[in-house]
Amino acid sequence: MTHKPSRFEACSLDIAVADRKLLSGVDLALRAGDRVALVGPSGAGKTTLLRVLACLADATAGELRLDGQQPAEVGYPRWRRQVTYVTQRPMLLPGSVEDNLRRPFAYATATGPYPEALAVDWLARLGLVGVLERPARELSEGEQQRVALIRALLVKPRVLLLDEPTSALDSQATAFVEAVLVDCAESGAAILMVTHAAQQVARLCTRTIDIREYTGE
Amino acid sequence: MNETISLTAGDLALAATLVLVAGAVSAVLRLGLERRLLVAAIRTVVQLLLVGYVLAWVFALDRGWIVGLVFLFMAVAAGRAAVQRASHSYRGATWNAVVTLALTGLLTTVAVTAVVVGVQPWWRPQYSIPLLGMIFGNGLTGISLCLDGFLGSLADGRGQIEMELALGATRWEAVRAPLADAVRKGMIPILNSMTVVGIVSLPGMMTGQILAGEDPLDAVKYQIVVMFMLAAATSMGSIGIALLAYRRVFNGRHQLVGERIYEQK
Repeated sequence: MTHKPSRFEACSLDIAVADRKLLSGVDLALRAGDRVALVGPSGAGKTTLLRVLACLADATAGELRLDGQQPAEVGYPRWRRQVTYVTQRPMLLPGSVEDNLRRPFAYATATGPYPEALAVDWLARLGLVGVLERPARELSEGEQQRVALIRALLVKPRVLLLDEPTSALDSQATAFVEAVLVDCAESGAAILMVTHAAQQVARLCTRTIDIREYTGE
Repeated sequence: MNETISLTAGDLALAATLVLVAGAVSAVLRLGLERRLLVAAIRTVVQLLLVGYVLAWVFALDRGWIVGLVFLFMAVAAGRAAVQRASHSYRGATWNAVVTLALTGLLTTVAVTAVVVGVQPWWRPQYSIPLLGMIFGNGLTGISLCLDGFLGSLADGRGQIEMELALGATRWEAVRAPLADAVRKGMIPILNSMTVVGIVSLPGMMTGQILAGEDPLDAVKYQIVVMFMLAAATSMGSIGIALLAYRRVFNGRHQLVGERIYEQK
C-alpha cells in the first residue's frame, strides 16, 4: 500500500451541536505517518470532531485543508475517500463480508479495482480466516469491527479517522489491529484515533491531543 | 342496455337501514362504534350530496378556470392528506406532495382525455374531474407510503447511509437502495389492484358504469385505461416525492441532514 505524503490541517474550527457550542478554536495538523490519539471524557465532542473532519457534519467556523485544498475544491465524496471516518459501532451492509469490502469500489470516486489479494491478506492478519462468504451481520461485534476497519483501509485513505477501533476486541485482536495500523502509517497514512485506553496510546501513538483543549474546560 | 334506474330519497333511506346492521353488530359485541358509525354515515351523505351539487354546477358551467380551481383544491387536499398519513415528515413536505400530485394529475389526465379518449376540450369537467379524483386518491396513498418508507429508513438507517458517505459514496449512491425500496412500497397497492382487478374486485368506476346501464365491455375498456393511468400516476408520484424529499434531506455537501426529518404523531 502506498500513500502520497500528505498534510491535513484543521484551522480554527468552531463546532456546535443543536446550537450548543461544543468546541472552539480547534487547530490540528496531521502529516503522513502520524499516529495521533484523540483523548478526553465522553460527550466532550471527540466523535463530533471526527465527523466534522470527514465533512459528514459542518463546523460553524474555520476551515479544513488537505495538501492546501479545501473540501469544496476536492469534492465532498472524494474528500471522504481520502479522509475516511470509521465509526465505533461497525456499520455493515446486508450481504456477505466480501460484498461489504467490495462496496466502496462501486462508487464513482473509486480509483481502481477491488484489491482482492490485499483484502484476503488483511483479513488473515486480523484473525479473520474463512469469513469472506459469511453474512457480514452474523459475525460477532468484534469481527464486524475488524471488517469495517479493513473496508476503510482498502480505500487507501490518506487520513484515517478512527473512533475507538478496538473497543469490541480482545487483547490479541487489538494487537493485530495495532500492527496493521502501524503498517498503514508507515506506508504514509495519517491516523487520528479516539481511544480511552492509556496503554494503547503509549503503545501505538506518536502524539496525543486532549479534546479539553478546545472545550474551554 | 342504457336503462338507468334513478334512486329516490326513499331508496337512500332504505339503504341507510343497512348501516343499522353494522350498528347492531357494534352494540351486540360492545365495540363502542355506534356513535362513530352514525357520524361516519352522516358525513358520507353530506359530503357526497355536497360534491354532487358542486359537480352538477361545475359541469353545467363548463368553464376551464373553474375546473382549474377544483383541480387545485383537490391537489392541496390530497397533498396534505398524503403527508399527514406518513410517520415522518420534513419542512416543505406538504408543498412537495401538492406539487407532485398536481404535476402527475395534470400529465396523466391530459394523456387520457386528450390523447386516449380524445375529449374536446381536454379539460371537459365530466371527464377530467372524476379522473383527477381517482388519480389523487391513488396518488396520495402511493405518496404517503413512499414518504413513510423513505423518511423512516433515513431516520432509522442514518448510520448506514453515513457509513457509505464516509467511504466516498455520493449522496445518490448512498441513498439509491432505500429510495428504490420506498418507491416500490408506494407502488405495491396499485400493483396489487392491477393483479386482482376483475377477479377479486370490481373497481368502483366500472361498477358505477354498469349500474348506470353501460355495456360491461365498454365499462371494462374504460377501466383498463383507468388502471394504466393509475399505474403511471402512482409511479410518477412515488418517484417524484422521493426525489423531492431526497433533495430536501441531503445538502450540496453530500451530507444527510437528519435534523430535517421529524416524527409525526
